[in-house]
Amino acid sequence: MTILYLILPLALCFAGAAVLAFAWTVRSGQLDDIETPPHRILFDDEPRRPGQRTLP
Amino acid sequence: MTAAAIAAPAALGCLHCHLPVPEGQRSAFCCAGCEVVHGAIAANGLEQFYALRATAEPAHTTDRAYAELDDPAFQRVHVVRAPDGQAQAALYLEDLRCGACAWLVESAPRCVDGITAIRVDLGRSRADVTWDPATTSLAAIARWLDRLGHAPHPYRGLAREALRRREDRALLIKLGVAGAAAGNLMLLAIALYAGMFGQMSRADAGFFRWASMCVAVPALGFAALPFFRTAIAALRARRLHLDLPLSIGILAGLSWGTANVIRGVGEIYFDSLAMLVFLLLVARWVVLRYQRRAGTAAELLLSLTPSRVHRLDGGEPVDVPVEAIVPGDVVRVLAGEVVPVDGEIVAGRSAFDVGLLTGESQPVEVAPGARAHAGTLNLAAAIEIRATAVGETTRVGKLVASIEAMSVKAPIERLVDRVAGRFVAVVSAAAALTLIGWSTRSVALGAEHAMALLIVTCPCALALATPLAVTVALGRAARRGVLVKGADALERLATPGTLFVDKTGTLTAGKLAVVTWRGDIDAAGLAAAVEAGSNHPIARALRGHAAPAGVATEVREELGRGIRGIVGGHAIVVGAPPWVRQRVRSQPVIEGWIAEIAERGETPIVIANDGVMVAVAGLADPIRPDAGAALRALEQLGWTVQLLSGDDVRVVQRVGGALGVPWWHCHGSVSPERKARAVVEARARGAVVMVGDGVNDAAAMAAASAGIAVSGAAEIAIEAADVYLRSPSISDVAATCAGAQATLATIRRNLKFSLAYNLVAGALAVTGLIHPLIAAAVMPLSSLTVLASSLRSKAFRS
Repeated sequence: MTILYLILPLALCFAGAAVLAFAWTVRSGQLDDIETPPHRILFDDEPRRPGQRTLP
Repeated sequence: MTAAAIAAPAALGCLHCHLPVPEGQRSAFCCAGCEVVHGAIAANGLEQFYALRATAEPAHTTDRAYAELDDPAFQRVHVVRAPDGQAQAALYLEDLRCGACAWLVESAPRCVDGITAIRVDLGRSRADVTWDPATTSLAAIARWLDRLGHAPHPYRGLAREALRRREDRALLIKLGVAGAAAGNLMLLAIALYAGMFGQMSRADAGFFRWASMCVAVPALGFAALPFFRTAIAALRARRLHLDLPLSIGILAGLSWGTANVIRGVGEIYFDSLAMLVFLLLVARWVVLRYQRRAGTAAELLLSLTPSRVHRLDGGEPVDVPVEAIVPGDVVRVLAGEVVPVDGEIVAGRSAFDVGLLTGESQPVEVAPGARAHAGTLNLAAAIEIRATAVGETTRVGKLVASIEAMSVKAPIERLVDRVAGRFVAVVSAAAALTLIGWSTRSVALGAEHAMALLIVTCPCALALATPLAVTVALGRAARRGVLVKGADALERLATPGTLFVDKTGTLTAGKLAVVTWRGDIDAAGLAAAVEAGSNHPIARALRGHAAPAGVATEVREELGRGIRGIVGGHAIVVGAPPWVRQRVRSQPVIEGWIAEIAERGETPIVIANDGVMVAVAGLADPIRPDAGAALRALEQLGWTVQLLSGDDVRVVQRVGGALGVPWWHCHGSVSPERKARAVVEARARGAVVMVGDGVNDAAAMAAASAGIAVSGAAEIAIEAADVYLRSPSISDVAATCAGAQATLATIRRNLKFSLAYNLVAGALAVTGLIHPLIAAAVMPLSSLTVLASSLRSKAFRS
């Protein structure tokens, strides 16, 4: 069971890193809008008929 | 995909919106608007829209020029320039509903040269546009968005939103920290509980306990900060708040657990505490999101008020933002537009709807030399106004300033805080008794049982009881078009008292219609024919009453008096009785009808055919069909309904009489100041709710215990109100009051459940029978019960 004395602090360090990563995503505004992105993944990247137009 | 490939079967109707195509129409579209929108979509290769969309409601294009968006005065306020020369602006887009709308708008950079990026936020109906000012202009982008059916408006209130965003992010980080701590502590606790029954050495158990402490103390100390802050603030203000027992429980648990870890004996409650803090933060976050959504929706309505003005520069109209107008400028106001400034009319005659400002439902005639006030609606014809006051110095602006001072409501003592107050007293007493009782055997044992009591009775379910019930209610209400600004508003609406209704727009349709007809019925068609070209509200009412019988020629309109013309060879005169009497011989029977109609509070209009008066029409604001049932529903809920209107007393009593409101509860000709006073007087006797839509109601709404603004309400009325209804009908008011009562009933039920759990856990702790496993099981169980009870709530269920 002595391995626990190494594994447990290590696991908690990982958890801490995950929390820090989460804090970073929140601070950088990635979670400000949680409604539109689920729709956005459905959008095609490529236009079917690329045509640039100038506005009238 | 081409237009032909997606051609819908005839049964589906219009290609774009699926509405039925009118018979005889030789195209696949129901109207020209859909054809234009479909053309704009197809021409840019964006047909994927039709595959993604979830609804097929017709798009509305306005065909505006949006020239005011390129005005320097507007750009200074709303446009940000990046260092690389790119410009950025936030726009509010109408009718953003689903993923397809977002996709269509975000495809803009592919279709329009000069747009670098558009990001859509569906929840806020907001689009952040980045563009190259050298290639395109904001007005051109706005026109493109408009053609897609998403009319853009400048997004106001950015500063307020930045502040909220900071708060939201801080709460979300705390939520994440608490969640991670709860998950990890649970794992450690499982190891400890398993070890209790197996063979775990003292050293190993001690290591797990120390690890738990190292996670719990910093993580919960940080995540529970909001509760500690509120508790301290409440203590300072000498008020009781639910966060006080929560903080006591959390702090007691953390310190007792830490002491036990250091001593090496006794229970630790870190896993239960972490779960408690996590659940509380989740509840708080969800409630905040719903409240924000309601608040944002109300603010977006503010963005919809007109911001462009037609200024006359050397006789030529130029569209400029309202901020650019200075006193002395001459502005043109077209029929159907809202007057943007206070000033004097220099050209044109028209009729004004001053209802929003004074509550009067009858239009007021205006001519050169008359005063015009910002916020009134120009009904009939284009007029020119020389501005004397703009912005905050207008009459409306001053009214707004006075309302802002008034609308700081004293916070009501919330039900749950009252319960929390007694709760603190009972638990403290019980803890003291436990300590004394067990200390007869050993002080250490007494301390342990007292601490256990404090921790297991930490009122988690109690704290969840209100937010969960409120969240469910707010969510359902929002789907019905009822936007509630906060939990307090629901509690204020739940205690019945006096309900003041402003008649205009809530009980009545809000526009004139013919309600009485005396005399020749065929004259109605002739009157409609003469009025065919007029924009006057009376003309619209007559047109709505009958189809025109022929085409009128030689039409002469005298604003505010009447109209005449030739229809099918007959000389027709339609107008107010005195003006018609000057032209046409009167008859006693007609005079009798005029008197009868005027007696009832309706506006008499006389129709004469070839020099003889033939009919009298009584015009009034007709009562909404659902108003009677809604008023009775409100009375059943315990409300006393009173009418409080700026309209003429006779008109108010006519409406009240038809709806069964006793005459002594019908108050007419009430000024905005009198309305507010009436509300203050009624508040001395109990709860008061003010329902209204105008600037004239806003002060009363602010003074009432709760204000309800209905659809079409003036900006300031929306701001002063606690609840905003998307429909203008009184039946939604009844539904809102019923929903508030049902929500409070759910809250009470939740409180009973959670108190029962606390009673059981507390009794076990006092007798020393509590086991940490029981504590760990009871807490989530009580929270789940409260959750289930909230979801079963009858509030706002459709």
